Amino acid sequence: MSNDTLTHSITFTETPATLTVVVDPTPQITRGRAVVVERRRPKAAGWSLLQGLGVVVDHWRKSFRKLEDPTQIAGTFTTEYPEERLPLPEAYRNMPILLFDDATGHELCTSCFQCQRICPPQVIHMTQAKDPETGKPVPAVSEFIIEYDACMSCGFCAEVCPFDAIKMDHNYELSTADHSSLTVHKAGLLRPVSYYQSIAPTFWAEAEASAYKKLEANKKRRPASIGIAPQMIEQVKAAHKLGDGQPEAASPPAPVATAPAPDAGSAATPASNAALATSEGDLPTDKAARLAAIRARNEAKKAAEQSASPAASAAPTASDGDLPTDKAARLAAIRARNEAKKAAAQAATDPAQPAAEGAATALATPDAPLTDAPPAPATPDAPLDEKAARLAAIRARNAAKKAAQAEEE
Amino acid sequence: MDLVVQIMFGVTGLLILGAAFMVVSVRNIIHAALWLIACFFGIAMLYLLLQAEFLAVVQVLLYIGAVAVLVLFAVMLTRQIDDPEEPVLFQRWRSTLLIAAILFSAVLVPTIYNHNWLIFTDPQPAFAGPRELGFAFMNAYLLPFQIAAVLLLAALVGAIIIAMEDQEQRRTRVLTLAEEIALRREQEPSPPTRLANPHPASSMSSNPTPPPTPEQAGEGT
Amino acid sequence: MYDVVDFLLNTQLGLNSPDWVVMLISHLIVVGMLFVVAPLQVLFLTYYERRAIARMQDRVGPNRVGYEGLLQPIADGVKMFTKEDIVPESADKRVHLLAPIVTAAPVMYMFAVLPWGPNMIAVDLPTGLLFFFAISSISTVGLLMAGWASNNKFALLGAMRAVAQVVSYEIPALLSLLFAVMFAGSMSLMAIVEAQGGLFISTTDVPSVPDLGLGWFVFTPVGFLAFVCFFIAALAEGERTPFDIPEADSEIVAGYMTEYSGMKFALFYLAQYILNFLLCAITATIFFGGWQGPGVAWLVNQSLSADNPAGNPVYNVLAGMLGTFYLLAKTYTFFFVMVALRGAFPRLRIDQLMNFGWKFLIPLTMINILSAALWLAITRWGTAQGFSIIEFAGEPGNLVRWVIAFAVTLVINVAAYWFLARLNVQDHVARQAALAAGWLAVSPPRSA
Repeated sequence: MSNDTLTHSITFTETPATLTVVVDPTPQITRGRAVVVERRRPKAAGWSLLQGLGVVVDHWRKSFRKLEDPTQIAGTFTTEYPEERLPLPEAYRNMPILLFDDATGHELCTSCFQCQRICPPQVIHMTQAKDPETGKPVPAVSEFIIEYDACMSCGFCAEVCPFDAIKMDHNYELSTADHSSLTVHKAGLLRPVSYYQSIAPTFWAEAEASAYKKLEANKKRRPASIGIAPQMIEQVKAAHKLGDGQPEAASPPAPVATAPAPDAGSAATPASNAALATSEGDLPTDKAARLAAIRARNEAKKAAEQSASPAASAAPTASDGDLPTDKAARLAAIRARNEAKKAAAQAATDPAQPAAEGAATALATPDAPLTDAPPAPATPDAPLDEKAARLAAIRARNAAKKAAQAEEE
Repeated sequence: MDLVVQIMFGVTGLLILGAAFMVVSVRNIIHAALWLIACFFGIAMLYLLLQAEFLAVVQVLLYIGAVAVLVLFAVMLTRQIDDPEEPVLFQRWRSTLLIAAILFSAVLVPTIYNHNWLIFTDPQPAFAGPRELGFAFMNAYLLPFQIAAVLLLAALVGAIIIAMEDQEQRRTRVLTLAEEIALRREQEPSPPTRLANPHPASSMSSNPTPPPTPEQAGEGT
Repeated sequence: MYDVVDFLLNTQLGLNSPDWVVMLISHLIVVGMLFVVAPLQVLFLTYYERRAIARMQDRVGPNRVGYEGLLQPIADGVKMFTKEDIVPESADKRVHLLAPIVTAAPVMYMFAVLPWGPNMIAVDLPTGLLFFFAISSISTVGLLMAGWASNNKFALLGAMRAVAQVVSYEIPALLSLLFAVMFAGSMSLMAIVEAQGGLFISTTDVPSVPDLGLGWFVFTPVGFLAFVCFFIAALAEGERTPFDIPEADSEIVAGYMTEYSGMKFALFYLAQYILNFLLCAITATIFFGGWQGPGVAWLVNQSLSADNPAGNPVYNVLAGMLGTFYLLAKTYTFFFVMVALRGAFPRLRIDQLMNFGWKFLIPLTMINILSAALWLAITRWGTAQGFSIIEFAGEPGNLVRWVIAFAVTLVINVAAYWFLARLNVQDHVARQAALAAGWLAVSPPRSA
């Protein structure tokens, strides 16, 4: 028994305005477009059944071949998870990740808060990193938390990030029995740029140039080891140790410390931070300049020790409360470093002698807060140094006054 | 007879009588039908004991596979699903039963006692085999066979006539477009016409209306 | 089995056990083997079906549990065992419990008459074929019980449709098997199988044909048409696509099985698969020679038997193994065909199903019986039956008679098929043509 519907053949003519179909002969139907298909009569009853069966058995026969090429028709398309996984498109997004540069270890994130602002379920939380010495915010992030269990993978954070620091990952195998592990901290969010490049090459290729340009600009403003991925901190430290041959400043000078930089994986002692502060990126390569910088640091330490004894609040542990008393000393140390830098810049053009002189005069400055006397400007940059020295003296006087007041109370 | 056969006969008899008793005494009518099936099984066992296995198999096939199913269908289709179990017996049923039993046994017991039962001590297996039955149907019992066949045919035809729907009322479902076109073609063989443009408001109408904008259609082609 | 047990007990061990003990033990062993075989077949068949139909749908099928998924049926079994058995509160509890039993038990009976190899049959009933189908008709009562006891209107409707389908297709099934009874002269399945020796021509028709076990009934036009009709009817009996209205998920939930869960549902499932296995086995037995195949007859000739006392009992075992292998190979091939049909065809509506069964299959099978009778008359009758014109004696005569019978029955069967197909067509245009030609006298349906 066949339920064929047999009609006559048709011709189509399509025009821009109308679609009219000439069907010959057909009664007029006034609804919609009608496509009438001529179907040939099967030769014998049941023949079409056998043909259909043949198609199915053909599929069965061909299904033993595994398909790799999507243009083939017959074969098995099954991806046997978990041994095989479907290749995901680049734009696939599932859970954000932070990027850090492979070479230097610097995180691209500057804690600009754009992603936190735009996140619809508000699952991003971050804390901006602060310079340990001055307390000023630096373009780096100290703590970054994303609650993966509430993240809806919309990708807005990745879209809006001006520094290409947060991107959407492809990892969907996140099931866990430990709910708290779904609140991911910075260390768990960081991935090297090479990883992102491997999962989304064209996107990274488009974003790479501007991302690196911005990263270079930000690197300059990041003191010491702030903004370096915890995964790479040991490596970078080791690389710089080897690079400059400088012994690591081991003794912790108490007050010259620092700010509590809560870098998750960085060295905990404030002293080494301070030491790093002078031995990291701003490190002058010229040997004489380095020598001057070391001398400056040692002087600063001595001065700090001297200032610590009379001062009531000696702060060997270098907590936040010590800031006022150490501030002047830190500023002095900063000045000394800047002097050393300038000396290094000059050392490239000038002979070593004036650099040493410059360093020597820089040594004189830490004594300023105690003696309350303006230092003698002996460097070629006389007017500037004079101004800076006067500023330092004024500040030192204020600091001493505050200390005296504190003692009274 | 063989001891085993006697035991089996006793068991079969108990089964048949017990099932028959349950048929008439159980309240739920579906259960009664199921006990009837058990009774039919017992009869098939009796046929087996008589070495008439063709009859036993046919008994199972027809009585259980067809008659019992028919009984169940009839009960299920006509019975209310809520199953109201009203007592069908009237008040003085015990005395009525007693009188009926006495009268019946007054007829039955002397008959059984006086009848000359032909008991085969050596049952003949070829008595009711398919070959013998076939010969009987075609030779000695041809007329009853044909009459039974005609009777069944009459029943079939009658059932179909009773259950057949009115032809005019049958086609109430919506036809597919192809079926409608075919229907139109056989109803009104009209001259070649053109399909109109999609006209949102119009639906299937029996009068072929002219296209809404004939000039547009004319231009279009 | 009786001989083997007798040999072991009386000859080897020296016990002089009475006859009935030997019989009892031998029957117990056979029954035990069959009871192990049946669920194992079901396990394998569920796995086989899922893999085969997956391949037809361009996918792989279960391949995780065990090597290539072979332990998947075990996992399914565990799932079914551990599911909670829910009985609806207002259901008839005893009938609800009995229904799966009444549906599943008879299909186990059907194993008793299936011939597995030469002299390998549990009980060689003289009315084996009829027994096979009579017992399967008891399952219909189980279906009705299941539908009723669920206290669910839709389950009841589903049960009625299922029973209507099964009962209406029992008729063409039995009618299409009658030719085998006529050809073999007996309803015993063993006799039917033994009548299929030969080489495309059965040795019963032409005794001089070399016996390679290939004289199957399907190679005759009568047998071929009967095979087609029987296979379709068997699909409907076993409720397989395209006749799976009672059990398809999109139809009336699960039909009569709606209110069943856990082990009871597993019993229904088991019963259905066993029935399908047995129907495939019966198809193989009646139409394709069962255990007959190249080599079995030769092995039987070498084996130890009553008329060959010098034979080697090893050949008995080998003949049995080869015969069983042939039977199972054919059965699994037919099951593959059933699975292919399931993968290829959509479901028939209940009215299409009924139309097809009553208006097409039954007349076709009746004409097939006529052809079978003609075949018998041409190949076996002679002057004794009043057919002196075709009295060809001797060997070439037999072959000539076979050829004539083949031609005549081919013409009749093809004509019947073509005619009935034209008669049952539902195409409007064809209907018009048929009306015009005068074959149809029924007015076409008109819209309201």
